[in-house]
Amino acid sequence: MQPIPPPVPSPALARFPAEVLEAFQRYRAKGEARDVETVLVAAAVDYRPAGSASAPVVSDSTRLLEDMGYDSVAVAELIFFLEDLFEMTITNEDILAVSTIGDLRACVIRKLAGKSGAA
Amino acid sequence: MNPVITGVGFITPIGNDRVTVEQSLREGRHGIERVEFLGNAQLPIKVAGTVKGFLVDSPKWRDWSWPNGYDIPKDILRGLAPHGLYAICAVEQALSHAALRTADVAEDPDTGLYCASAGSAMLLHHNLAQMRAVRGARGNPLGVVSSIAGTLNFNLAAHFRITGAVCGFVSACASSSHALGYAIDDLRLGRLKRAIVVGAEEMNADSLLPFAHMRALSNESDPGLASRPFDVERDGFVGAGGAVALVLEAPAEAARRGAAALAEASGWGQAADGYRVAASHPEGAGLRLAMERALADAAVVPGDIGCVSAHATSTPIGDSAEAIAIGRLFTTRGLRPPVAATKGLTGHTLSLSGAMQAGFCVLSISGAFMPGNPHLGVAAGECDGLYLPRATLAGAPGRILSNTSGFGGSNVCHVFAPPSGITG
Repeated sequence: MQPIPPPVPSPALARFPAEVLEAFQRYRAKGEARDVETVLVAAAVDYRPAGSASAPVVSDSTRLLEDMGYDSVAVAELIFFLEDLFEMTITNEDILAVSTIGDLRACVIRKLAGKSGAA
Repeated sequence: MNPVITGVGFITPIGNDRVTVEQSLREGRHGIERVEFLGNAQLPIKVAGTVKGFLVDSPKWRDWSWPNGYDIPKDILRGLAPHGLYAICAVEQALSHAALRTADVAEDPDTGLYCASAGSAMLLHHNLAQMRAVRGARGNPLGVVSSIAGTLNFNLAAHFRITGAVCGFVSACASSSHALGYAIDDLRLGRLKRAIVVGAEEMNADSLLPFAHMRALSNESDPGLASRPFDVERDGFVGAGGAVALVLEAPAEAARRGAAALAEASGWGQAADGYRVAASHPEGAGLRLAMERALADAAVVPGDIGCVSAHATSTPIGDSAEAIAIGRLFTTRGLRPPVAATKGLTGHTLSLSGAMQAGFCVLSISGAFMPGNPHLGVAAGECDGLYLPRATLAGAPGRILSNTSGFGGSNVCHVFAPPSGITG
């Protein structure tokens, strides 16, 4: 019987612009926080449930629910995507503490730093 | 009072709108193509009833594409299975055909939704494999609602904001006939004024190939020969996918809106074989009783039936059982209504099968024709006495008896009539 292959993270970024894919690859090589941020912001824009054609300008203070139109399912989808991509786990308690893009970035970077054998 | 059908919508192997579907039925044009499942050229299954114009091979909805003209918001797409996408397109067509806007059914307590699908085997597999790869640590948050049986009702109810009744039916290949039957009953009982009935299935390896392992699929590689209901050389069914939606209304509601009735849903009946998990009763005992009950419910006798839309999927056992059952009901009374097995053109769409036949019956009645059996060469011996026209018949078909059978010996039959109730 053929084993089920594990999910491969990079095709998950296939629909993103080249610079996002490059940032992810750089993060895998060097582990730098600014590359994580590039990927995270692109994913957060992409996972808005009612995305408009033009991407909104996103800053640290942009709120997921109020400014980006997120609902609870979209938050769960985004978190799952980031968990799978960066191979880490974000708990419900972590999610409850996230309201802005800055909060999310801090949370992901903290998780990655705490991951044993990161990247 | 029997409900009337005021709209139909189609995403099928033989067309993605009612005009194309009617043309395919009239011309005997099939929708079966060569396929290679899972990139394995060695598989004996070479053909399927494909759904054209949709690209839904990926388990990720972001990779999908579909025909222009359907507005499907991202927050609905993320919880959909591929067959859910087909279903939304079919329902949009059916509503538009019935001269209803989505706003007319949204939050209307008198509109109900009756769905049938087997769920999405592809998404179930993908989501659970992803979960198992991380030993349960995480999974797709929409994995449940996008993949389990019921995914159609969950998503379509949310998308169309249905408040009257929302339910789903799982009786294998009889599922959407059950959905239609219980919708008819709710309308007759005055519980609702309008029902949307939808059946849908996926056309992919995960949904269809397991039937090959039961030895139920045809190994024929010629798309024009593989699905040959009632033929002496038939060797199994051709798997297919798609979605069909019907709008049913209480006659008073259709009249109030000034909506044209396309056909009447005159009655239905069901009975079971009490026999095997997958094989039909060899003489179609349950099917025959279901046909008799449908006729009784419609208050008609076999002689009132103008033609029969057969379930016949091109399997050796199933077609034989149905031919015997039809023969006992009609031939023994000296009756020879034309019998058409449209799965010769579409392949077998599983849960969708009953709704698809119902949709075809509506087209036959409104367009005054009866599809033929263009792939039939030599009819099997059990068909002796049955009238199996090869070519399409012109003229009003009158009342149509439509059969469906599913695993577990579940048989559901419907009678459709011209809207006036007068046969042509």
